[in-house]
Amino acid sequence: MQSNLTIERSKEAQAAQTVRIKPKWHKVVLHIVYYVVLIVFLVFYMLPFWGAVVSSFKSNTEATTSSPIALPQEWSMEGYSGALEKLKTPLLNSLVVTVFGAAGSVFLGSVCAYALSKWKFRLNNVLFIALVAATYLPFQAILIPLLKTVQSFGLYDNIWGVVMVHSIFGMPMCTTMMRGYYAEVPDALIKQAMIDGNGMWQIYRKIVVPNTKLATITTFVFQCTSIWNEMLFALVLTAQGESAMAPLATTVLQGFVGATGVEINQLMAGSMILALPMLVIYIFMGKYLISGQMSGAVTAS
Amino acid sequence: MAAITIKDMSVSYNKGKTFVLDRLNLSIKDGEFCVFLGPSGCGKSTAMYSIAGLLEPYAGQIYFGDTLMTEMDKGKKKTFIPPQERNIAMVFQEYALYPNMTVRENMAFSLKTKKVPKEEIDRLVNEQAEKLELTPLLDRRIAQLSGGQRQRVALGRALVRSPQVFLLDEPLGNLDAKLRDQVRYELKKIQRELNITTVYVTHDQTEAMTMADHIVLLNGGNIMQEGTPNELYDHPANEFVAGFLGTPQINIFDCQVVEKDNGLVLDAGAFTLPVPADTVACLQPYVGGAVHLGIRPADMDLDPNGPITAHVDSIEPLGDAYLIYISLGEKLVVFKYAGEKAPAEEELHLSPNFAKLHLFDPATEARINA
Repeated sequence: MQSNLTIERSKEAQAAQTVRIKPKWHKVVLHIVYYVVLIVFLVFYMLPFWGAVVSSFKSNTEATTSSPIALPQEWSMEGYSGALEKLKTPLLNSLVVTVFGAAGSVFLGSVCAYALSKWKFRLNNVLFIALVAATYLPFQAILIPLLKTVQSFGLYDNIWGVVMVHSIFGMPMCTTMMRGYYAEVPDALIKQAMIDGNGMWQIYRKIVVPNTKLATITTFVFQCTSIWNEMLFALVLTAQGESAMAPLATTVLQGFVGATGVEINQLMAGSMILALPMLVIYIFMGKYLISGQMSGAVTAS
Repeated sequence: MAAITIKDMSVSYNKGKTFVLDRLNLSIKDGEFCVFLGPSGCGKSTAMYSIAGLLEPYAGQIYFGDTLMTEMDKGKKKTFIPPQERNIAMVFQEYALYPNMTVRENMAFSLKTKKVPKEEIDRLVNEQAEKLELTPLLDRRIAQLSGGQRQRVALGRALVRSPQVFLLDEPLGNLDAKLRDQVRYELKKIQRELNITTVYVTHDQTEAMTMADHIVLLNGGNIMQEGTPNELYDHPANEFVAGFLGTPQINIFDCQVVEKDNGLVLDAGAFTLPVPADTVACLQPYVGGAVHLGIRPADMDLDPNGPITAHVDSIEPLGDAYLIYISLGEKLVVFKYAGEKAPAEEELHLSPNFAKLHLFDPATEARINA
């Protein structure tokens, strides 16, 4: 009897809900307006990308003569082979700088985050605030002294100089992110490890790092994307020769003027090649990146 | 194995402005099972952390045997052996098992750190796992264990290294009641077998009473009383100790001490009790004044000629006994009756066990009678 009653009641409730949801005409219009606006924005946003994709598959003649958004009449890989040829060295350089720069900044950040989140020492908070402030430092402000410093180390136009600079300048961001993760490692674990006979660095190596692998991966990926896309340091710290870096190489390409003018198909193909690594990373690691930034944000405060 | 001696230890979290522990003096004998008991925030865990070296006291000294482990003078370190060099084992309430390791690796961790040879580690771990029935779990990850199993792993990990001091911070807090009784028994047995000096922190008086050789009852950063469980139960040094130990709680009455027929009488309003001859002398200073009288629920019995007449409020059967709530004047009093059947009368006549009356000074709450 009881259950019958509840069923009846829920039916009534459902009916009431259906009535409420039943669309009114002005709501339908509103929805149409929403979608039209969204589609317009989407087209605006995607059109250049579309143009780049189709142009990269055209021959140079077609690319310069046809509409930039029309499908290629003849699919050609000419642009890609040409772009790869010119981008070989810059791509390799960028890869080295990205991987080592990210690894370096993650290592430095992780050490700082460990010390700041798990050990109490004098000026602990002051240091942390200084680091956070450094995250917001506009790099343009320090370019000249930075260039001088790198030059004095003899590392100008050397990719290891760029690696060093990225490692150091990525550190504050990594510290902030990882501190959030390390705060979640229970203090009892640290104390237990101490009692089990371990010092500060042994605890870091044996307990903290193995238990926060996800944090390390997330921060590493985050650093990879930002270093890969970074242009300012690459522009200032390298000459455009042997150590040219990939994002800058589009300007290299632009400078390439063939018999018929700028080689648009190569330029577009080059852009695609440059975007690809980060696109892949985002597709596979995107969810870690988002959760990582969120968790860091919430717990670090 | 070592005795622990604490001399004049104070702990402060704000550089000596206020003290969590105030000039604590304590000695724990070699091989003793010592329980730090007290309500939350009484400083019992703080005292243990100081012994472990996880916390620097503000002042005082801590010795293991004859070795000075901590010596602090107004916040300045004079001697401080870090926890990793104290050869102690500790079990935390949250177990603190390393999630990145298997049970075996957890248990072997401290031995590996000490660079014990591999065969020796395997032997010790297997032996300890056998004792705690952990052998089938050795290759599991911590996440795959139940609460009770985790607890046993935490114990096993602590015991595997034969420490000189064994510290347990409310290790049974996360277990259900049945498992708690079982582990309590096992723990006591293991401790007795290994004869390791043990400090056990708890707020549960049953755990303290059943396991301890030596209870240190703390409140507000001071030791209220220390001694064997029976000493504390039978001769509580003050009203706090009397109230903290024993369930249900002791009944406390405000009484006037009145002279009557060449003797003394305690007048609680609802009843009067003649003062036993051996307590008359110590009550002399209170004649004409007030005292607090404590009677444990089990220290009363039905007696048709008893001096206490009370109205039955409600009866709770415990199976082997009854808790009878009686109203005495405006006060609700508990009486634990061990008879077969609950009394049917609405009015009960009770007589206290005169040898087990507890008298306290109303101002200082200190015990008056011997």
